[in-house]
Amino acid sequence: MDFLVALLPHLVNGISLGLLFALVALGFMLIVGVMEQINLAHGSLFALGAYLAFVVVSSRVPLPPDLLAAWRAVPIGWRYAASLVLAPIGVALVGMVLELGLRRTYGKDPLYGLLFTFGAALVIEEAIRILFGTRDYVLPVPGTIGGGFIFLDLIYSTYRLYAAVFACSMIALLWLFVERTPYGAIIKAGAHDSEIVRALGINLSRLRLLVFGFGAALAGVAGIVMAPIWGIRPHMGVDAVVPAFLIIVLGGVGSFWGAVLAGLMVGLVVGLAGAYASEWSLLSMYLLLIAVVTVRARGLLGKKSILEA
Amino acid sequence: MTTKCSGISRRRLLRSTAMAAALGGGATLFGPWTHVRVYAQGQKKPIKLGLTCDASGQYGDSGQDDMRGIVMAIREANDRGGVLGRKVEFVTTDTETNPATGSRIAERFITREECGFLIGALHSGVANAITQVAAKYGTIYLNTNSSAPSEAGENCARVKFVWDGNGANFAKAAVANAIKGIGRNWMLLTNDYVWGHSTSDATRRLVEAAGGRIMDNLLVPQNTRDFTAYLLKIQQAKPDVVAAAIGGDDIKALRTQVAQLKLDRRPAWINNQQDWPDVWGQGADSLFGVFGTTWYHKLPLPGVDDFVKRWKAAWPQSPIPIPGNVSYNGYMATRELLRAIERAGGTNNIAVIKALEGHKMPAAERMQHFDAWIDPATHQVQQTIYLAERNPSPADPTDLFKILSWTDAEAAKDDGAPAKCKLADYDKVPTYEL
Repeated sequence: MDFLVALLPHLVNGISLGLLFALVALGFMLIVGVMEQINLAHGSLFALGAYLAFVVVSSRVPLPPDLLAAWRAVPIGWRYAASLVLAPIGVALVGMVLELGLRRTYGKDPLYGLLFTFGAALVIEEAIRILFGTRDYVLPVPGTIGGGFIFLDLIYSTYRLYAAVFACSMIALLWLFVERTPYGAIIKAGAHDSEIVRALGINLSRLRLLVFGFGAALAGVAGIVMAPIWGIRPHMGVDAVVPAFLIIVLGGVGSFWGAVLAGLMVGLVVGLAGAYASEWSLLSMYLLLIAVVTVRARGLLGKKSILEA
Repeated sequence: MTTKCSGISRRRLLRSTAMAAALGGGATLFGPWTHVRVYAQGQKKPIKLGLTCDASGQYGDSGQDDMRGIVMAIREANDRGGVLGRKVEFVTTDTETNPATGSRIAERFITREECGFLIGALHSGVANAITQVAAKYGTIYLNTNSSAPSEAGENCARVKFVWDGNGANFAKAAVANAIKGIGRNWMLLTNDYVWGHSTSDATRRLVEAAGGRIMDNLLVPQNTRDFTAYLLKIQQAKPDVVAAAIGGDDIKALRTQVAQLKLDRRPAWINNQQDWPDVWGQGADSLFGVFGTTWYHKLPLPGVDDFVKRWKAAWPQSPIPIPGNVSYNGYMATRELLRAIERAGGTNNIAVIKALEGHKMPAAERMQHFDAWIDPATHQVQQTIYLAERNPSPADPTDLFKILSWTDAEAAKDDGAPAKCKLADYDKVPTYEL
């Protein structure tokens, strides 16, 4: 019984960590699933989201002095809420520019697309270094979601709880959008049979542009949510792109619920390993991947992948 | 028509000459290795230093701050007319906080760039990799900022000089008082690589020697960004003190998360050295516990203000606005190397090594409270060790530390190191003069 009581906080931690991992992977999954494009710039877009949010929240917005003073007078809660809207829009625009560049690689060796997004990742990261320098920043958050709370005699992070709830909401909203709206139906149709979609008179180029922008915006949202936990630094994207890639492979490429399930599994494994075999905590996610892919090469919920079609 | 002279044809003469040259070259190539790199070069040839500083990876920020101190010392030497009338030059490449990269760059600096000296390190794995290469060629290497006890212990080398205080020094300065004042039940939080392990081993020895108990040692893989599982485990175990040996980006993430949970007061935290570049970006809010340092820019000592002023003039665009312990160590190491070359009267590596070994550095020159010296048995600089905590009433935005105590070099000395360190005999060290 004592063991179970001791285990419970780590299970809760693992689930919340898993939801955050799933959030990090969502944009990556969307772009791979719909566009058959592995976006290696996902991590840099994630970092860009965090930096843009920092600009908005810490009142470093390039505005005339009187407007800037007025913006600084706005309560931090509102500035934070504004960052959750403005920063992803900024990242989405950058993502759309990337997609315009990517078009030349469509229909060619996938390596070209990979190299393009890899190059874009380096360019974005270097641009961040030039604009913001190499130092670290901390994203301020409203007091109501900062600090800690006590549960079962232990202190938990309030922000962590907020981030997990936010991740849940984002997952639900994305699912509703993809599964319950005509736009989602078009995106899914574009993923399964782009020729038919084109034949139906839908502008496929614009669809891809919007999907890439949407995926980039999700990366930006994940960056904003993770920034207060991981800190903001130019190479923070590397910390995101590796688990994101692992999660979509583990969940099954293109599978929405596969990515969510894989995120939760990775979170639980990493969280429990951190508590009971700490030196294995990072390695554990790779061991999980090896174990799953060994018995099911397409991942947990992967159908016949569109990449294989 | 063939021209003959004394019975030897022109073609035969050319062939013989080529063969003799090839054999001579081969003899040079094949040995003896220990003297291969004795080059007779012009007295005024610049002295070339290879700066093995990280610009990316876990210690990217610190590596660049290290370089700022090193380059400042080089510029000041050149402004004085150079060293022995020779200009000092340098090359640098990003060692990426990666031992394999460090090793490759060290090899290139020595064999292709003909650097006579290597300077720079943060990560003990990278420092150790560079040491292996430096030892192969006999090249003097200054480990400026890697504070693993193993660097002056089992991984010491005749050619390497270790400039930073190490985990054992900081633990000696902190542990006994913490056991008396706070409690005897300790937990260790250890970055899972050589610096973390050797630092925590030193802490464990000192805690147990002082009557304390190590409840658990949580190993933290490098590049861990989420410490919640560790923090929950610590709360469940309820130790009196947590001794953390976590570095680079990992400690930044840990600091943020400890501050969020407000776990900075209970349990008590004894952090190992907190490098200034790691602290600066995050501000005072996330500083917690007691931690070590070898220097602080607001020490009330002669020369400190002038040094800070010179540094700021040298680096007006620096992302870190004032020098911290990392830049200080880089500066001091380079300055003392160049002085040692002057004392040795040249760049012969054995002569320079001997000029460095046992060298005493007055407190006033090092802007510390007590005199320092280079330990001839381990090649570690024995120096004043400071303990600090977050400054509750800063005089300005850079005044983040409140210095709590300063321990003299003898009291903070790592007693275990000499037994582990086996320096190669001088005649086993390849010699060179560049």
